[in-house]
Amino acid sequence: MNKKLFGSLVAIVVTTAMVLTACAPAATPTPLPPTATPVPPTATPVPPTATPVPPTETPAPTGPCLIIGALHGGPISDAGYNQAMHEAVMAIKQNIPCVQIIEAENVPDEAGAKTTMENMIAQGAKMIIATAFNHQNPAYELSQSHPDVIFEHAGGWMMGPNFANFFGKPPDAWYLMGVAAGKMTQTNKMGFVAAFPLGWTLTFINAFELGAQSVNPNAQTIVAFTFAWGDSAKEADATNSLVNQGCDVITMHVDSPATVISTAESRGAYSIGFQSLAAQQFAPEYWISGTGYTLGGTLTWLASTVLDGTWKPIFLRCGMAEGCMAMAPFGPKVPKEVQDYVTQVKADLEAGKIVTFKGPIVDQEGNVRVAEGEVLTDDQMSAVDWFVKGVIGSPK
Amino acid sequence: MTLLSVLGVISSAIFSGTSLLYTTLGEVITERSGIVNLGLEGVLLVSASTGFAVASLTGNPYLGVLAAALAGGLMNLILGYLVVTRRGNQLASGLALMFFGFGLSALIGKPYVGAKIKGLPRILLPGLQELPRLYASLFRFDLLIYLVIPAAVLVWWLLFRTRWGLGLRAVGESADTAFASGRNPWLIRYQALFVGGLLAGLGAAHLSIAYAMNWTEYMTAGRGFIAVALVIFSKWHPLRAIVGALLFSAAVAFQLLLQSSGIKVSPFLLDTIPYLLTLLVLIIWGGTRKHAAPASLGRVYHGTE
Repeated sequence: MNKKLFGSLVAIVVTTAMVLTACAPAATPTPLPPTATPVPPTATPVPPTATPVPPTETPAPTGPCLIIGALHGGPISDAGYNQAMHEAVMAIKQNIPCVQIIEAENVPDEAGAKTTMENMIAQGAKMIIATAFNHQNPAYELSQSHPDVIFEHAGGWMMGPNFANFFGKPPDAWYLMGVAAGKMTQTNKMGFVAAFPLGWTLTFINAFELGAQSVNPNAQTIVAFTFAWGDSAKEADATNSLVNQGCDVITMHVDSPATVISTAESRGAYSIGFQSLAAQQFAPEYWISGTGYTLGGTLTWLASTVLDGTWKPIFLRCGMAEGCMAMAPFGPKVPKEVQDYVTQVKADLEAGKIVTFKGPIVDQEGNVRVAEGEVLTDDQMSAVDWFVKGVIGSPK
Repeated sequence: MTLLSVLGVISSAIFSGTSLLYTTLGEVITERSGIVNLGLEGVLLVSASTGFAVASLTGNPYLGVLAAALAGGLMNLILGYLVVTRRGNQLASGLALMFFGFGLSALIGKPYVGAKIKGLPRILLPGLQELPRLYASLFRFDLLIYLVIPAAVLVWWLLFRTRWGLGLRAVGESADTAFASGRNPWLIRYQALFVGGLLAGLGAAHLSIAYAMNWTEYMTAGRGFIAVALVIFSKWHPLRAIVGALLFSAAVAFQLLLQSSGIKVSPFLLDTIPYLLTLLVLIIWGGTRKHAAPASLGRVYHGTE
């Protein structure tokens, strides 16, 4: 008797689970949850290199003028990197209405990326935008077997006749965030929650500290590594640990800024966001500012060159001046004079009056890493394994 | 190291130890009935995503906690069907449940990635109103934290002071003997799994709704397996599980503090401290016969013809 009862009970459980499974995606047809929309569309109308895009007003009567396949490594509503990339891709559609976008999210691995891209090409995509690190190899492989399709990859280094790379230049933006943090800190201690001690992460931390030192010679950046891109509980632990050591400004380089920023807010510490400008929603009170990728203008321009046949493989890296990186609005606690100062520094960075990694720069042990008159190159930035003086923590 | 940072380690241990402790308590009950649940990681993920989704949809964190607990119970019942009714191998079924949980939780949680929820309200520990804000914020705990030690005592009482607990432990030691004395091993194991799943669900709810206030894929980051290890560490005893969970979480908080104290030790090495500490305690504590595992842990009960 009992066994029968349980049999049916479990049958119900399993069926419910399956029904839930089947219903879950159907119940949410909108790709973006309502919380993700406070940010104005990141479509910066200015393309990076002159040639303003003439909005092709004449929609082709037969189907789309260009099918673009875009794939992301994570969920596009993460208020982080993937959301920033998603908004950039969507900006193409806004600026050039006749294009059709096929988008795929949560494609983290190489094998999945290859199948996804093949699928998109089979559906007629003539341009592929791959935004995750792991997409580079499969995209490059496919670019060789599909010479008629243009491939653009975010943040890599490979190049080919129909394969190119584009990305923003975050270090200057990080310098700017450091300036804001250095102005706002009362304790002269700022906390940085980072996933792994990778070259670019260390470069961001260094740029942040250099920016803070430029306005506050006593400012220190204290670093805590979580060794995971998405271990939220450990991010909360790390944030609390930094606040307990006296940090009153917290920033991070992990996948989703949500946990770090909400935890800092709950402890009454200022926060600075990274990746997507949408991070601000998690800190209504103690938000200073943030920086994120706004590559919509760049992608629109690239798509327009594909449309008119002038596309060339260029290794594209663009910063704040070109509209590829943007600064989030200031929070309510940031005084007017700090806002003005930061805005001025932003203008100086864009004009090249301030160069983030200009020598002399010394590391924690006092060794000169960048000599007087020299500037750190992009290649060197990606392979940094040292912290500048003023950062507390071990880089390896 | 200041007083604040030392108090901070204690506070962090309590905050992140709570989810571990609930999960460990649940697994203690399950294993005491003779079932080892290696799918706990998947159970936690499904509970965490379900709870977060409900909290986000309804705007009520307590409903989220309830949903997470139920989801945990239901996930464990799936394991029950596999290993009790279908008499499948527990280890293989558990791992299958884990992978099922990875996928299902990603699906449930997907629309809520990046959503902002109202976390469980935090109430200051009584008597600390005079502290400055920075100190006071260390001791503002949510309801699940206040209830976790009573929950451990309750589990101890259930297991060791009630007839139900006696029957449950008897099934875990020898299902045949328990059956001969008039107990129903199938029913008891289902009950143990359900209660264990409820507790694991509470742990997951604390993780996503109260502490991190966020859902990200695979956010449990191995905590399900750590809970299975903590059950062994605490020798299947709910009160010792309190020590285990707090010690482990304190070690995590302590290594984060060390990392940022300016000490010249690789953060890679410091990150292993909690695991090394667990190993060390296991070695020192040793394997005495007295507190050995339930005798028929992991064994399939085929019934008595």
